[in-house]
Amino acid sequence: MSPTCWNCGKPAPSRFCAECRALQPPASDYFAFFEIPRALAPDLKDLEKRFYALSRQLHPDLFSRKSAREQEYSLESTAILNDAYRVLKDPVARTLYVLKQEGFDVGEQSTKDVPPELLEEVFELNMALEELRMGDEDARPQLEAARARFRKMRDELDADLQRQFAGWDASQRAETLAAVRALLNRRKYITNLIDKASHVPDRV
Amino acid sequence: MAYSDKVLDHYNNPRNVGSLDKSSASVGTGMVGAPECGDVMKLQIRVNEENGIIEDAKFKTFGCGSAIASSSLATEWLKGKTVDEALQIKNTDIVNELSLPPVKIHCSVLAEDAIKAAISDYRNKQGSKAPVAVEQTVA
Repeated sequence: MSPTCWNCGKPAPSRFCAECRALQPPASDYFAFFEIPRALAPDLKDLEKRFYALSRQLHPDLFSRKSAREQEYSLESTAILNDAYRVLKDPVARTLYVLKQEGFDVGEQSTKDVPPELLEEVFELNMALEELRMGDEDARPQLEAARARFRKMRDELDADLQRQFAGWDASQRAETLAAVRALLNRRKYITNLIDKASHVPDRV
Repeated sequence: MAYSDKVLDHYNNPRNVGSLDKSSASVGTGMVGAPECGDVMKLQIRVNEENGIIEDAKFKTFGCGSAIASSSLATEWLKGKTVDEALQIKNTDIVNELSLPPVKIHCSVLAEDAIKAAISDYRNKQGSKAPVAVEQTVA
């Protein structure tokens, strides 16, 4: 938000100017938009309450008789509100967002972030799936065991992530974020595997 | 976005799919993966221990068409090259040959990583088999 109101020029307005009540341009950072601290594990009940309250305050219909500039800010605010809520309520999207805002590159990543044992396991699972697709029913128990194993891995990872989330929210250490990113990479792999292992072809 | 004819050709008729004996001292195995898309690629080379020439190369890739085509092409290029020549293969060569679009460049990076991993595995095996020879070249 800008340091002065665009309409009356009074200093430090919040979402609405304290003097003239004019709607101000929205903050682009999602956490700032909701006026909550940047966190990996925010209070989701509170977030939901803020979302509904802001939806009511910012709805473009309420601005139909205001200035063109306020109508525009209302539209922008509503768009950010919806994007921000969608991202912040989802644990994975939220974490990626925090990583990005904290300057971590979350795009292209190298093999080095994936432990070799996991790669072996991925490969074996894919082989078993392929055999099953080609009609080899002997591979089915192997596949079901793999699915159970991967689900357990995901649950353990999620518990790990929760611990790291609490750690970062308490101390904001960059090392914690690096650990979070590594865990997310593994999680992506494992959720792909669960998807693959769950779409088992029917008996041919 | 459409795949190039060359990608389609490798995808529909992949060259050198299969595996080599992982436990053999003359075989190097590279297993690599891309976390963001869940692809996994295994590439193996069999090297003539006398002259260092790659006599055979096999791959198995679970992934998109570009990942399959990149590794298929890599095995074609590897055969007949020496290990040192093979290390000169760059992902950009693969991008150019297959006309990969920017969003698929990581597939070619994966193939280059797989080549390097296979060669490094082969060299490790050779090193542990003949530690004296390695010490001599280092000294």
